[in-house]
Amino acid sequence: MLAQKPSGNVVSSGDLQGEPMRRPIGHRRARPLLHRGFTGAGGVLLIAALGTDYTYYTTSLSQWANFSAWLITAGLIVMLVAAILLLIDFATGRAGRLNMGSCILVTAAALLSLVNAFVHSRDAWSSVVPQGILLSTVSTILLLIAGTRGWSLAMSRATGDRP
Amino acid sequence: MRTTSVRSITALVSFVTLAACSSKGGDPARQYGLDPFLPEPHEYLLPPMSVPKAIGWKDGEMPTVSTGLKVEVLATGLEHPRTLYTLPNGDILVVESNSPGTEPFRPKDFIAGTVKARAGAAAKGGNRITLLRDADSDGKPRLRTVFIDHLHSPYGIVLVGDTLYVANTDAILAFNYVPGVTQITSPGVKLADLPAGPIDHHWTKSMTASADGSKLYVGVGSNSNITENGMDVEEGRAAIYEVDRLTGAKRIFASGTRNPTSVAFEPQTRQLFAVVNERDEIGPDLVPDYLTSIRQGGFYGWPYSYWGSHVDVRVHPQRPDLVADAIKPDYGLSSHVAPLSLLFSEGQHLSPAFANGAFISEHGSWDRSPLNGYQVIFVSFANGRPVGKPMPVVAGFLGNDNETVHGRPVGLALDRSGALLVADDVGNAVWRVSATQPGT
Repeated sequence: MLAQKPSGNVVSSGDLQGEPMRRPIGHRRARPLLHRGFTGAGGVLLIAALGTDYTYYTTSLSQWANFSAWLITAGLIVMLVAAILLLIDFATGRAGRLNMGSCILVTAAALLSLVNAFVHSRDAWSSVVPQGILLSTVSTILLLIAGTRGWSLAMSRATGDRP
Repeated sequence: MRTTSVRSITALVSFVTLAACSSKGGDPARQYGLDPFLPEPHEYLLPPMSVPKAIGWKDGEMPTVSTGLKVEVLATGLEHPRTLYTLPNGDILVVESNSPGTEPFRPKDFIAGTVKARAGAAAKGGNRITLLRDADSDGKPRLRTVFIDHLHSPYGIVLVGDTLYVANTDAILAFNYVPGVTQITSPGVKLADLPAGPIDHHWTKSMTASADGSKLYVGVGSNSNITENGMDVEEGRAAIYEVDRLTGAKRIFASGTRNPTSVAFEPQTRQLFAVVNERDEIGPDLVPDYLTSIRQGGFYGWPYSYWGSHVDVRVHPQRPDLVADAIKPDYGLSSHVAPLSLLFSEGQHLSPAFANGAFISEHGSWDRSPLNGYQVIFVSFANGRPVGKPMPVVAGFLGNDNETVHGRPVGLALDRSGALLVADDVGNAVWRVSATQPGT
């Protein structure tokens, strides 16, 4: 995924001799996108809440609903960190343009999860069934698609790789 | 494909928002009495609340009382006074106490902690009993001592013969009492354990004794609002226990009473009554707290249903078999008033109107907008049953803006002269309410 292989700017060995040493673009040290790992981590926490929701659904054991509430809260906090890091990625020139598809997917999942955090703050069964687990399912689907797209909300300027 | 998912998300969001429609509570008068109005339950993303800010009483500020009554301050500077009890020699005991404290379970619990602190409900309790001696019943105690110290979230208290029973949150302790003593230093002897931790959500253990003194009755609250902490921690909770005074053997006398914060015998029929705090977060007008007679072996609904057979969908798995037998309470006290003390009157010391019936303190809560409770009422009885609409007795605990709270009424007792004493755990005071014209 990191696309370290040289792209179009392969310099022929003949040219190298006369010219001053220039590092080929493809070999420039890639500055990784800061937000990307956090987007993934937040996504994983939110996806995990579907698992704990389902376990609560099948067992009625309240600790699973508590796990869901904590996972969603933690997932949202990590997603907030990811959003801040995305701004830093832009500010420091790491990020190129927005990756709109992933942006919409992750933002929608985060907003639904915010609603879901309130649903999960209800007491007992209806903190999960039906609205909570429904929201967790939709968020999970959105996040899984974002995951297959590599969790990046912006193109990396350094490497030009598609996330 | 993306348009479809966006559309379904929009639909879902509006569906959830719809469920979160905000609402204001209606007229509480509809929910007092034998047949309270019960609206449809609603669940919210953010349950309707209004959290008053505790500001206490300034010098000269006092609660207000109804016509023919006057109020004076009996004691101030207490540490979260809850229960009041008058000894036969006229000494007044003030149980100073609060929750033993619980660890947060869920993200929500951190917010609940902030709410409690703002409303003055999080103050540390004294974990002790203070004695006030007002020998001539003039409202000016000449003596004030720490009667029993180092208790563990005490609440219920009752004297039987020469033994004083104190219900800590985890056990009933027995103390030998010699009339006239102003301090007991010997440690209490444990009579019986009571359900306490873990969690101990509703921590108060209300207590009274049967007329013949052979049995104690103890109200034990649930370990949650509506089983959100799991069914296993509700074992033996939300019930009224009968404890044999000599052996300490205990059994569940009645169940399904979510938080029975006060138990008392009706003096004419010797029937056991309780005030019970009902569940939250299904609407500003659900569920009415209640006053009810307590039948042996009776089941009063919690958690599966409320007000008889109204099923609470938040509980899973449900138990239709139990709901079918759930007893409908006798008398609604309207929603989220948090009745904390039930005191039967003993004749017409205050007013002829208060000759036969019960005083009930409504501590008030933040689970409703507009706020409800924050007063002391009187419910008349006829033939040993509550009847009619309640009469206000003591009010003015809330500020005029309805956003600040001076005090919250808790324990009630009659002093030897028949004056009504009201403990106030935000004002940290005890108020004394008496007739302007001394009556019979």
